[in-house]
Amino acid sequence: MLIEYVDVFISGMTNGSVYALMAVGLTLVYGVSKAFNFAYGSFFSLGGYLAWILLALVGIWGGYISVFLVALPLLMVFGYVTEKLIVAPLRKRSDWEIKVMMLTLGLALFMDNLFQVVFGSRMKSLPPIVDGVLEVGDLVVSYQDVVIFILSISGILAFRWFLNNTRIGMAVRAVAQNPEGARIVGIPKDRIFAATFGISTVMVGLGGVLLAQKYFVSPSGGWDILVKSWVITAFGGMGSIRGGLYAAFILGMLEAFVGYWFGMTWVLFALFGVLLATLAVRPQGLLGKWG
Amino acid sequence: MKKLVSLILTITVAGMLAIPAIAAETIKVGVPLAMTGAYTDTGDNYWKGIKIAIDEINASGGLLGKQLEAVRFDTQEFAPERVMQGADYLCGNVKVDSVHAGWAGWGQDVRAYGKYTAPFFADDGSQSAVDVFDQDPVKYSNIFQLTDTDVNQASSMFRVLLALPYEYPNKKVVIINADDAWGTGVGDTLEEKFKAEGWKVALHEEVPYGTREWGPILTRIRKIKPAIIHLEIVSAQEVITFFRQFMEAPTKSILSYGYSIVPREVVQTMGKEADGIIGEVPTAMPTPTAPTPEAQAWVDNFAKIWKHQPQAGSWAAYSGVMAWAAAVKAVGDEKDHAAVCKYISTNGYKGETGWWKWDKSNVMRAGGDVPIGHYQVQNGELVTIFTDPPAKPYMNFKFQVPRWCK
Amino acid sequence: MGALMAIIYGGLALMPIFVGGTDHLMHILIMILIWGVVASCWDLIMGFAGIFSFGQVAFFVIGAYASAIVANKFGIPPIFAIFVAGGITAAIGVLVGLPCLRLKGAYVALVTFAVHMILEPFLKGPMGRAIGTGGSRGILTIQPIEIFGFAFTPDHKVAVFYLTLVLAILCSIIILMVIRSFWGTAFLALKDSEDFSASLGVSAFKYKLAVFALTSFLTGMVGGFYGHYVGMLSTRMLGIDLFVTLMIMLVIGGIGHFPGAILGAIVTVTLNEMLSPLGSYRPLILGGLVVVLVLFLPDGVIGLVRRFFNGKSKIQEADA
Repeated sequence: MLIEYVDVFISGMTNGSVYALMAVGLTLVYGVSKAFNFAYGSFFSLGGYLAWILLALVGIWGGYISVFLVALPLLMVFGYVTEKLIVAPLRKRSDWEIKVMMLTLGLALFMDNLFQVVFGSRMKSLPPIVDGVLEVGDLVVSYQDVVIFILSISGILAFRWFLNNTRIGMAVRAVAQNPEGARIVGIPKDRIFAATFGISTVMVGLGGVLLAQKYFVSPSGGWDILVKSWVITAFGGMGSIRGGLYAAFILGMLEAFVGYWFGMTWVLFALFGVLLATLAVRPQGLLGKWG
Repeated sequence: MKKLVSLILTITVAGMLAIPAIAAETIKVGVPLAMTGAYTDTGDNYWKGIKIAIDEINASGGLLGKQLEAVRFDTQEFAPERVMQGADYLCGNVKVDSVHAGWAGWGQDVRAYGKYTAPFFADDGSQSAVDVFDQDPVKYSNIFQLTDTDVNQASSMFRVLLALPYEYPNKKVVIINADDAWGTGVGDTLEEKFKAEGWKVALHEEVPYGTREWGPILTRIRKIKPAIIHLEIVSAQEVITFFRQFMEAPTKSILSYGYSIVPREVVQTMGKEADGIIGEVPTAMPTPTAPTPEAQAWVDNFAKIWKHQPQAGSWAAYSGVMAWAAAVKAVGDEKDHAAVCKYISTNGYKGETGWWKWDKSNVMRAGGDVPIGHYQVQNGELVTIFTDPPAKPYMNFKFQVPRWCK
Repeated sequence: MGALMAIIYGGLALMPIFVGGTDHLMHILIMILIWGVVASCWDLIMGFAGIFSFGQVAFFVIGAYASAIVANKFGIPPIFAIFVAGGITAAIGVLVGLPCLRLKGAYVALVTFAVHMILEPFLKGPMGRAIGTGGSRGILTIQPIEIFGFAFTPDHKVAVFYLTLVLAILCSIIILMVIRSFWGTAFLALKDSEDFSASLGVSAFKYKLAVFALTSFLTGMVGGFYGHYVGMLSTRMLGIDLFVTLMIMLVIGGIGHFPGAILGAIVTVTLNEMLSPLGSYRPLILGGLVVVLVLFLPDGVIGLVRRFFNGKSKIQEADA
């Protein structure tokens, strides 16, 4: 009995770590610039396809390490440019929050179908980062899950370090806390907005690479990720990174245990049920403040 | 303001009316398939079969001396009004003389195309479509199903599972199916059959598409240690992730994938890794050796044209076009839809493997010369090990006990 | 506003003269009317009331199923069933609105979209089957609307078209009245400054809930009408395709510029049909179009129309 709960617990932790990585990027952009990125799921797929191009098409030397070295900067540039080109011009308009949502939804549709036209509608697979399983007594964990867990957590830690210890990171926090004040002390707000967009693209793209080797890549595979990240950020409090982390692990566990006890069909009901209950009590989510 | 609005309206109407002018001396064939959205892959499989059939007929001088012309329609994700619009466009507007679909609407299509007279071929394999047909067999006499129903296909899977030359260690089965009409149809039938045979259905789960983390279910499976696990989700990502996570700590269970074996990626991605999984394809062209020389020639020709092996549905859709063409030839008038339909349902059609016969509900029931094929992945390829009904081994191909059951 | 609406519907009313004999085109026109109302309701919520509701398609489907079930199970004539369905949808709308209208932007979007996401497993699952949704098979037999013994089936497209037109005009007049009423002014005030309006005694919550209920009612009713017209229902309407298509109607028509949404419906449906032969390139083009239009045509086609006729419109000023 106990061993099964440990098994389900591990499944929940694996889910949680990946969700955390995804949700942090989404919550960052919302926290800093109040923009909600509907194309987040497509950015996830973009990460997966980039890895596929590098590994399967180009056959890059050095395997996944080279993939990270090449793909992550590319994603950063992609995110930065996207913000500058199509999100920033909207900022001055009335109703800009709705318009950003609509625009990014259009972008999602465009990107997903571009993937389909370019790569075909059939899924692409990547070689696993590592093979084999770790056996501890009756417990079996694949090394793949271990690596995903470690890399996700390292990604988040690196990001925290970046926010707390670098000049750009501190500027990002300043803009999030008090945009007006940040402007007065001379922080280039527009550039910070674009930078956060780029960083969030890197986070979700990294998630895309990590998950692509376990779950594969397909043109519209990002929607699931978008919805889950969205639920997590709202649950944890949009804009709160710590809240997002807690939410990711709580929901990851919830998913695993509801799936185990009641069946997979109930997972979605449970997720939204918990979200609604939380928002009814705390409209700003668990930790609805920057922190 | 008036000017511009009326201008817009005029352009709108002009746009809608801009349907290619009808050229003389061709017979129009409607092809409503999913060209965008979640069902693009299957739509593509059907189209490849239909295209070959049309090209062959045209190359051999056409039908009754006239060339065939395919008119395609994108059914997208089969929303009811989209299905209806396809029928109104193809039959009502373009006035095609036959319609060749694949997955077409699971009953919605029968309603939509039943209003018209042109022979309509679908490959839904759904009992709900047949139920609609049976409400008014006269009105729906132009509707033909190219495959047997979910209920009968599941029964066939059950028979073959029990006919396998393999000693089951216990009588426990786990059934996991998708929450769509096909998945539930198969899952429920299997549950019923296994129970009637004295088996214990230890777990029967419905899962949504997109399920890729199987940990919780596998934890339960590892506790149950069933003799058979049946998985019915026609989507590659779901079934591959299931297999890989299952193999981290496999139980001694026969893995039966049913129709979910058909997405080409399953075999392509996993290769020999997938060895041992069994599955089913209705109206199937058995592989690697086809049953007749004609059938083998068809397979080779398909591979030559499209550069890959035929996939589920391609041959069925091809045969639908050919069955219709044969009937038109016999009747001598493609416009006499009633006579063409009557000819097809009474005479059937002789294809590469033998006779196709439609029953009183216009369903191509499995058996005879066109049985359901049951496969096992061996050495990285799909190998027909059984045909059914009646359940009998196919040629010299043998079931192999999967490596995790030894 | 009213004049433009009259022109649009007047123009549409004449269409059967030209294409009345072509069922397929009549069907497209009927769908234009239906989507026009659905998009207008959405516009009323998002553009005027400023609520980021993403549950519009869900309410449409709820109405469609409710009407079909009410008519099939209790034998209520469809012409009344659609109003019952509207009532049911409005009740659900209020249930959803109560917790979520106190939330902020992206949260509201999420909660309402959650209704959309959950609806499909609900309709397919045991709970749905228990109330008569037919599970994943859907409902394949729905009786048509009958008035004085005349059945409005898909076989009589021109008759259905005019019935739809009457319904669409009624809905549009209601929407127009709301926008022109005290409500409309209240919403404009709320959008400008919620705090200031609140201090003047405009209760944001009350008005938002009322408009949410009203649009849910209209959307549900039109959904019910759709079900009785098409004669069958399945959960396949809940894919992302319809959702995005409706949003494109708003973008093309211009958000908050009623009756722009109706124009948006005309243009979008037509465009969708013309692009249909292109397969995968259709959604690709539509997606790209949304990006370009949001960037370069902020007020949609209606903004263009207004700019064309009165050189310096109010919209431009408001935008500057």
